[in-house]
Amino acid sequence: MHKLIPLLVWTIGLASPALSQKGYSTREEALEWLNTVHLPDTSVYWPHVKNHLFLENLRINVIHPVGMYQGSSTNFCGYAALSYLPLNYDPLQYVKFMLALYTDGHANWHKVKFTPSPEVMLAAGTLRFKGVLDIRPADQMWFLVLADRFRSYLNLFHAKFHTGSEDTFWAACNLGKFNRMIKRMMGYKIKAIGSDLLRPGIKDVYAFLQKAVHTGTTFLYVNNTYLHVKNHNKSRFSFPTHYIVLTDIQKEDDVLTIIYWDYGGRTLRQVTTSFLKKILYGVTYIVKDNDE
Amino acid sequence: MNNKKGHIVLWALIMYLASSCKTVNITNYYHRHQSILDSIELVYTQAYAHKPFSIEFTDRAFDRVSLELATDTLTYIYEFWVGEDRMQDTLRKYGFNPAPINTLIVLMRSVDCTWANNLDYYTEERKHYLTYISLWPRAFNFPFVNKKYYILTYFQQPQYFDNEGNLLAGRKLRRIRKINAEVFRRINDKVCYTLSDRFR
Repeated sequence: MHKLIPLLVWTIGLASPALSQKGYSTREEALEWLNTVHLPDTSVYWPHVKNHLFLENLRINVIHPVGMYQGSSTNFCGYAALSYLPLNYDPLQYVKFMLALYTDGHANWHKVKFTPSPEVMLAAGTLRFKGVLDIRPADQMWFLVLADRFRSYLNLFHAKFHTGSEDTFWAACNLGKFNRMIKRMMGYKIKAIGSDLLRPGIKDVYAFLQKAVHTGTTFLYVNNTYLHVKNHNKSRFSFPTHYIVLTDIQKEDDVLTIIYWDYGGRTLRQVTTSFLKKILYGVTYIVKDNDE
Repeated sequence: MNNKKGHIVLWALIMYLASSCKTVNITNYYHRHQSILDSIELVYTQAYAHKPFSIEFTDRAFDRVSLELATDTLTYIYEFWVGEDRMQDTLRKYGFNPAPINTLIVLMRSVDCTWANNLDYYTEERKHYLTYISLWPRAFNFPFVNKKYYILTYFQQPQYFDNEGNLLAGRKLRRIRKINAEVFRRINDKVCYTLSDRFR
């Protein structure tokens, strides 16, 4: 296993966004556009979003997209995973969308119309004790607006936002909803395998994931109680709870080295094939742009 | 009649102990092992300032140690047997000083400490750090029962508390501060505790 380290250091270079995927705008374009923006001191739509923190947040996301953080104890991981696409492939659209939301209270992303509920508008900027998300009001807006707009059966009994809903099923995101968000908002064609309850039964998980990673941005839907262990209980839930963005995978013997974006930064770890199969419930990857 | 009174007193005593054992146990545990726990915090904080990492024991016997080594580009997660040479090589390779980490492993094992980490928290837009230490005392290891952990947080500045000893968000903000979705209580001005079913 230790022999892999030089190889791993080399693979860090591959941990950047998939090359086969087309970018719609650049970081420079987004920053240049942000520099021309003059925001009002306060927004009537987002009373708790401070404009200086909002703009700073957008700049940080454009300059350092891997730093985006879903927040401690929240269920925002699906929306954070989705953010990987606009922040890496269309940052200009992202900042324009956020600015429109801030100034007009509603905005469109391609054909998807966002008209946030009053509860969500009041909540953005007030989420606390979530780590760096506390001082990232634009991220709070982004996550809340996405959760408010896209609903699924998991959200059935949590229709309205209440204080603390970000930690509950109100914000949960199942695989179908996640794929729907990518297709409708981002305009990408995807390939998806898996479900919310049953593992996908991929025969050669390494070959499958390697092909996916080299095709386009690859999202894994995993059981986080095994990936990111939080207690030593022997019995754990057998369903997926978390999304990560897989950026590279290497194999030596039965050891897989995976590099993934898990919000706030990228992580490298070594796992066995059987472990990865055990935690993996879904794979979604971008295959081709719709408009090509 | 006397028998009845005796029962009432006994029940009252049981209820009192049941409701207060959390406080008694954790604060007792802290005071009993204070010098070691404070040393863990000190060694960890100093080593973390040199290069960030977190440390976890993954098994009940405290023989397997998992390190999360943060570098500029990636966080590396590796698991080792305690005493394994490979660990020293890995630490050196990524620019970590093995000495304080080896000391931490010895100290943590001696008090059943399963996790040490550094967390950031925010007060009025300002970033602060705390050291988060999770203990897994052997008394909690009942089969078929969810594991419980004593959590200690070491702050760099004195904190504010309400009358019941709950940690507050700040002097002006009289709101109860949560860390990892848990409410913490006072041990002293800079150290707080809670009981949790998650060690992180």
